[in-house]
Amino acid sequence: MNKAWAIALNTFREALRKKTLYILLVVAFVVIGASKFFSWLSAEEELKMIRDVSFSTIEFFGALIAIFGALGAMSTEIEKKTIYTLLTKPITRTNFVVGKFIGLGLIMLLNYVLMCAFFIGLLIFKKSPPDIEVAKALLLIFWELLLISSITLSVATLASEAFNLIFSFFLYIVGHLTSYGRQITEQMQNAFLKGLSDIVYTIVPNYENFAIRDKVVVGVEVSWQYVGQTMLYGLIYMVIAILVAVYFFQKREI
Amino acid sequence: MAIIETKGLTKIYSVGRRKVVGLDDATFQIEEGEIYGILGPNGSGKTTCLKLLLGILFPTSGEAYIMGMPPDSVEMKMQVGFLPENPYYYEFLSGAEILRFYGRLYGLSGPEFERRVSELLDLVGLGSAGRLALRHYSKGMLERIGLAAALVNDAKILILDEPTTGLDPIGCKETRDLLVRLKAQGKTILLSSHFLSEVERVCDRIAIFHRGRLLTTGSLEGLVRQYQAQNLEDLFVKTIQEYDAQHPLGKEPA
Repeated sequence: MNKAWAIALNTFREALRKKTLYILLVVAFVVIGASKFFSWLSAEEELKMIRDVSFSTIEFFGALIAIFGALGAMSTEIEKKTIYTLLTKPITRTNFVVGKFIGLGLIMLLNYVLMCAFFIGLLIFKKSPPDIEVAKALLLIFWELLLISSITLSVATLASEAFNLIFSFFLYIVGHLTSYGRQITEQMQNAFLKGLSDIVYTIVPNYENFAIRDKVVVGVEVSWQYVGQTMLYGLIYMVIAILVAVYFFQKREI
Repeated sequence: MAIIETKGLTKIYSVGRRKVVGLDDATFQIEEGEIYGILGPNGSGKTTCLKLLLGILFPTSGEAYIMGMPPDSVEMKMQVGFLPENPYYYEFLSGAEILRFYGRLYGLSGPEFERRVSELLDLVGLGSAGRLALRHYSKGMLERIGLAAALVNDAKILILDEPTTGLDPIGCKETRDLLVRLKAQGKTILLSSHFLSEVERVCDRIAIFHRGRLLTTGSLEGLVRQYQAQNLEDLFVKTIQEYDAQHPLGKEPA
């Protein structure tokens, strides 16, 4: 575990010393900050707007950081050939994959905490401190980001960077639309489309499960049971993604 | 007893539909405490052989052992230091940081290890550049830090791929002297190079590779006598020309 941790810290340090993620973070701050300038809205509507925009921004920019971070963590290591030296050290390929995932988790946690702090600061400034429902929504967003990064990392062990980039964004969009897609195909008579929809719904992680922000914005309470079940659902996908990554990386020649 | 051993080690690469022989049926043994030089023109299979020994590539057939352990053994890698050809390192780290990072993978840390980091930097002439980021290093400096990184764990076995590439004449001499000192300390060194004079001066035994084939191996004096050559250069040219005459391109043995 110490070896995986050393790789994780190195991955984290690399991200800290590169400028790309800071730029995304600054843009996210600007978008969240801009949500408070809707002065023509009533105070209540303005708060809703701040919450809505902030949740969406944290989720979207977090997803960008998760995807680009995971792409960089694996592909850069291979393209810059730093992996040649690393794999001759006394580490297993499992150490490498797990270390990369933990490192990515640290990068996302840092960015996420900063974005959340900015959002919460804005709420406090508006004299509406965040309640537990806001915390639940933020917790599920972070869990979704971890899931996105684990899948991107997994695909990076067996596919090119360009394919992975397209695939990860495609999956991000499809993952948010599977529920709607299923609702539509259920009303159709076509058995083939229904079957296809069922397969997609079963395989593709349903990112919409993590999106309780719409409910939280309008004041609907979400149970801890739902939060726990959704986290377990995400955890199962993450474990599968990491196992797939380890399996393919062990077979991969560098 | 052989500390490094290969038996019929073969690597065939798939390039599209074509099969390219990287290494063909290489069998050799390296004894403890000797400096063994692998010689050959570019693309002769030297680096492929080293990568197979270290588990970066997987053999198509045959076996490789270091200290009786297979190439994917973590225990074996604890005893090995590796310098890749054209070292690729994390550009965002400084010279001292890269040594600390690799040290952690061997479970090394603490004040004693910090002293070793300083000693290694001094040993390779980078004492004053230890805090400089690697992206500012020249090619020769990268080669030097690579050598320090290979020595970080005080390994019993050193595998060095073209250790003097990019070094000036003084750097080359210092590296040669260092290899002789390391041998005197009881270390076994596997050295891949196409600098004949370097091999001639430091190696106890050599192997000549060409077009993926191990053409001959033995002590320098013995081989020079056997092939009625005047020196290593003459031996090298004779061996390769003889093989090319017997196996014209496109008519390789099956």
